[in-house]
Amino acid sequence: MPPLEINRQAPQVMHIDLNSCFATVEQQARPLLRGHPVGVTNRITKSCCIIAASYEAKSLGVKVGMRRDEAVRLAPDLILAESDPPKYHYVYQRLANIMKSYSPAVAMKSIDEGVIDFHHTRTYINRRDLSVIGLEIKQRLKDDVGSWMRCNIGIAPNRFLAKLAASLHKPDGLDVINHQNLRSTLAGLKLTDLSGIAERNQARLNGAAIYTPLEFLDAPAEVLRRQVFKSVCGEDWYKRLRGYEIDDQTFNTKTVGRQYVLENSRLDNATICSRLAYLCETTGMKLRYKNMCARGVMVYARYSSGDYWYDKKVFKTTFFSNAEICRRALLLFNRRPQDDYIREIGVSCYKLSPSDQNQLSLLEEVNQEVWLSQALDCINQKYGNFTIAYASAYPSHQMVKQKIPFGSTRYFELLCGAA
Amino acid sequence: MEDAILINQDINVVAYYFKGKDQPKCFPKRIEYKGRQITFTETGLRHPTQKGQRMVHVFDMTDGQADYRLEFDAASLIWKLVYVADMAYAAFRN
Repeated sequence: MPPLEINRQAPQVMHIDLNSCFATVEQQARPLLRGHPVGVTNRITKSCCIIAASYEAKSLGVKVGMRRDEAVRLAPDLILAESDPPKYHYVYQRLANIMKSYSPAVAMKSIDEGVIDFHHTRTYINRRDLSVIGLEIKQRLKDDVGSWMRCNIGIAPNRFLAKLAASLHKPDGLDVINHQNLRSTLAGLKLTDLSGIAERNQARLNGAAIYTPLEFLDAPAEVLRRQVFKSVCGEDWYKRLRGYEIDDQTFNTKTVGRQYVLENSRLDNATICSRLAYLCETTGMKLRYKNMCARGVMVYARYSSGDYWYDKKVFKTTFFSNAEICRRALLLFNRRPQDDYIREIGVSCYKLSPSDQNQLSLLEEVNQEVWLSQALDCINQKYGNFTIAYASAYPSHQMVKQKIPFGSTRYFELLCGAA
Repeated sequence: MEDAILINQDINVVAYYFKGKDQPKCFPKRIEYKGRQITFTETGLRHPTQKGQRMVHVFDMTDGQADYRLEFDAASLIWKLVYVADMAYAAFRN
C-alpha cells in the first residue's frame, strides 16, 4: 500500500454524544436529583451494577459496570434509579430529529450517540461553520428536551476522529480535529484513549514498539498490517488515523436473541424454563418485527462456578413463531449439564432469511401457525406487548423487564411498545 | 425508583399552563391529592409513551420538595399520579 498523507479535506463529519445519557435524563426528569450523585441500574438488587453514572457520581470514582456495594462505598450518598426505557427513547427521538434537520445522512450509532455526515447537505447548510451548527444543536437539545441536557460534539474528517474529538472535553465539549491539529491532539493522548484500542490491542501495538498514538500514526501500513494486527485491520487503522473514512458501513442482522441474568441462582427447573420461554417470546417478537425467519437456534447457560455451556442446531425448516422458537430452544436446553446452579441464560436465532409468512402453505397446520402468530401480534399491537402470551412464559412477565439495548437501536420502537 | 412511593391513583388537575410558541403544549400546574393542593414549580420531562394503541403522556414534575410522576391517558382523558419520589427517603436507600 502506498504511503498516505493526512487527509486535508475540511472536517465534514459531526459526532454527537449525550453526556452520561441515562443519568442525565434521570436528572432532567427529576430536578431534585440534579447536583447529586446518581447511578442508573437495570434492576435494583443487592448485586446490581451501575449502567450509567452522573458526572457527580463519576467525580467520586463511580464507574459504569461497577457493582452497587462498591459504588456505594465510594459515594455513600449515591442515589440509585431504575432505568426507564421510554424516557430514553423520547430523548433519542428528539436528538435524532434535530440531527436529521441538518442532513439526510444521519446514523444513530447507539441510544446516546449519532453521526451527521455533512458531505451531501444543501449548500445553505454547507456554507455554515460546523462549530456554529454544533453550538446550535446543543441549544436546540436544551430547548427541546430540557435545560439539564448536555452533549459532546466532535467534528473531524471521518467518524473515528469525530468520535475522538467528542471525547476530548467532557462534559459539554465541542472540539474539532483537522489536518492542522491532528498531531498535537494525538500527542496529548494515550493509546487506550483511542476508540477501539483496549488492553489487547495496546499489547499488540506495544509488541511492535508503538507506545503512543503519535507513534501509531507514524507507523507504516505494512508494519500495522503484517506485524501488529496481522490482517487488513492494520490498513484500516492506517487510513482511519489519517482521517480517511472507512467506518461508513452498515451490517445485516445475523442473529436475534435475548439473555437474562437470573434474579436468584437457586431457581428450580420449571422457573428457569419459564424464564427461557419468556426470552423466546421476545426473540420471536424481534424476529417478526424485522420480518425475518430463522433456521438455527442457540441456547446457553452460565453457571455459578463461571462455567459456560451452549448448544446450537440448524433445522431443515424455517420458523418464526414464539411457540416454535420455544419448543426448539427447550429441546436444546434440556440437554444441559445439571450439576450446578445457573446464573444466566440466553437464546438466539441465526441463519436468518426474509420471512416467508405471506406464502400460503399446502400444509394446513403450517398455515394455522402463521394465522395464530399474526392474531397474537395483532392483539399485542393493539393492547400492548404481552397482553396475550403463552402460559409457559407468563410467570416471568413481571420478573423479566424490558431493558435498554446497548449498542443498537434496531428494536427500540418495538421494545418501547412493551411499556 | 428506590426512593419513590407508588401511588397509581386517579387525581384531579386543577390548573394548567402552556409552553411553546408555535404549538403550545399543555402541562399540569396544580393537582389535588388527598385533599391537598400541590403546585408544581418546574417541569422535568414530558414524554409520550404508547401502551398498545393508547397514547399516554408522562409528566415528571416537581414542587421543589418532591418529584411527581403524572400520566395522562389521551384516550380516556384521565390523569393519574403514578409515584412521588421524595429526597427525604434517600437516607434509607443504601
